[in-house]
Amino acid sequence: MSDVTGTPVATGTPPTGVRRIRMPQKLRNLEFWLLLVACFINAAAIVLVQLGAMRRVDTQLVLLGAGLSVLVFGLHIAMRFVARDADPFLLPIATVLNGLGIAMIYRIDIANGEAGWESAAVRQIAWSAIAIIAAIATILVIRNHRVLFRYTYLAGLVAIVLLLLPLVPGLGREVSGARVWIGFGDIATFQPGEIAKIALAVFFAGYLVRNRDSLSMVGTKFLGMKFPRARDLGPLLVVWALSMSVIVFQRDLGTALLYFGLFLVMLYVATSRISWVVLGLTLFVGGALIASQTLDYVGNRFANWLDPLNPERYEQEFGGSYQLVQGLFGLANGGLIGTGWGQGRPDLTPVPQSDYIIASLGEELGLAGVFAILALYLLFVARGFRIGFAGQDDFGKLLGVGLAFVVALQVFIVVGGVTRVIPLTGLTTPFLAAGGSSLVANWIIVALLLRLSDTVRNHPRLVIDG
Amino acid sequence: MSELTLLVLQLGFLLLLWVFIFAIVYALRSDLFGQRVRKLQPEASSAAPAPAASAFPSSPVTPVPAALRAPVAASAATSGPDGELASSENATRLVITSGTKAGAEFPLGRDEITIGRSSDSAIIIRDDYTSTHHARIMLWNGRWMIQDLDSTNGTFLNGSRVTVPVPIPLGATVKVGATTFELRR
Repeated sequence: MSDVTGTPVATGTPPTGVRRIRMPQKLRNLEFWLLLVACFINAAAIVLVQLGAMRRVDTQLVLLGAGLSVLVFGLHIAMRFVARDADPFLLPIATVLNGLGIAMIYRIDIANGEAGWESAAVRQIAWSAIAIIAAIATILVIRNHRVLFRYTYLAGLVAIVLLLLPLVPGLGREVSGARVWIGFGDIATFQPGEIAKIALAVFFAGYLVRNRDSLSMVGTKFLGMKFPRARDLGPLLVVWALSMSVIVFQRDLGTALLYFGLFLVMLYVATSRISWVVLGLTLFVGGALIASQTLDYVGNRFANWLDPLNPERYEQEFGGSYQLVQGLFGLANGGLIGTGWGQGRPDLTPVPQSDYIIASLGEELGLAGVFAILALYLLFVARGFRIGFAGQDDFGKLLGVGLAFVVALQVFIVVGGVTRVIPLTGLTTPFLAAGGSSLVANWIIVALLLRLSDTVRNHPRLVIDG
Repeated sequence: MSELTLLVLQLGFLLLLWVFIFAIVYALRSDLFGQRVRKLQPEASSAAPAPAASAFPSSPVTPVPAALRAPVAASAATSGPDGELASSENATRLVITSGTKAGAEFPLGRDEITIGRSSDSAIIIRDDYTSTHHARIMLWNGRWMIQDLDSTNGTFLNGSRVTVPVPIPLGATVKVGATTFELRR
């Protein structure tokens, strides 16, 4: 951080005739070294999986992983040209998380006897490649985040369309109860809701910057808090209705919580009024309680959360607590330092490579590994908040906070569900879990945060040393 | 490959993961604990401008020679407290009037200008008296306003401490730490 500002003065555009001094790209060089370590960690994870599970090294998958490293360095080189002052930590952190996910998916492929181009790990690598290319494209195309401000309402429309796509007959697919997928014939199932969260963050940021005065200035004081007027409650109620319809029609509790939480936090950041959070949480908890009474699948989730070890629930065929309990047993089996890559039995839990990847990693890497992963998320989100905080314009600030918070909330919902802090809901763990749409969406978030951080630092600045 | 080798490799992997995390934390320590404070030299405020000017000849900021600066400061003082308010139309630059970089200018755009010791501020002042996020200057309804960001030692406009965001008159002296500046046409 201090590196770039240690240089004396860099203000505005230099007058013509003055030769521009080439500043060494200290931030990019730092990123380069961190990326080298990150790629080494990823290769080591795959090799350790092979040693642990098969007792031999198979170079094919290591080479595929190396291909991914080339792409990551491609993004790094692109940033040397178009985003020289971007944050140097986001890319290495995302790379390590993505690589750990691939290693664990590969490990479960080995346990299930899958190999070659049909296996989940190879598909995950292919999707990672697409996602990183999407990130490179994003950072090359969007040279200034303020362009997005112009398309606020278009982003809102795109988000709604993406959310509705899975409900279109013939296009939507239902996977384990939730109708959040689209597919064309048998191929390429995609979760449009993942992309929708980015569009929603852009829309909320633009909308709140335009309208926050009426949401923050007036209101009546009650119980020590300033509550908004009834007629200003419109946006909150609309987003609440949207979330509730996701619960009812798409049968997806996690996604609904994600969208509503995102709106609530951005509203709070924009207006700095705690009463919005109180109102919003009351609405959501009320809605969720009604849903748990009326909708079977929500009621099951709550019952499993409160009483998972009840034999009746454990042996129930559909909607029982088998998965939750197996995940907890797996985490317990891992202990402090884990069983080691390829030496546990994470494949005993249903869907160990997507929703339950954190339990699989917890079994093989132990508490030490899970805490390392959570620390990586923590650093990622902290960088995002930092970028938002340092932003020079309100739209950039809100967008940075929104994008970072969406990752934080998603991690909380998934890890909280697996570890029984909150009722389990199906969401993907960012960067780790198997799933193409999630990878693409999260890598685009990385690209947007990098772009934001570059704009923040590129600002004319004056350094006065005491 | 024995069990023991695998265990050692496994522990090595966890260690590597944590080394990576602490490498990142070490690299961003200045964000967590703030910029390192440099001690103010007693003679710094009077003697420093000249060396600063010669040290960075290619910088676009051209310090005003001391002889020229005196009359400018004098005229600014007369138009100071009761002059017209700085707006996006009539103010184009921010000029440092005292401190180590006296005479340096900063262009005013339409974006807000953050002042503080942190590296992401637009104007970075590293001395003992400046807070990490000290103050900010922003356009509000076309007027340039100054807001103190709850700094330890305060922000002063024409000698009185800024508590709520106030509009800045053209040529009025704003003091942050040991540095003073004003907005000019």
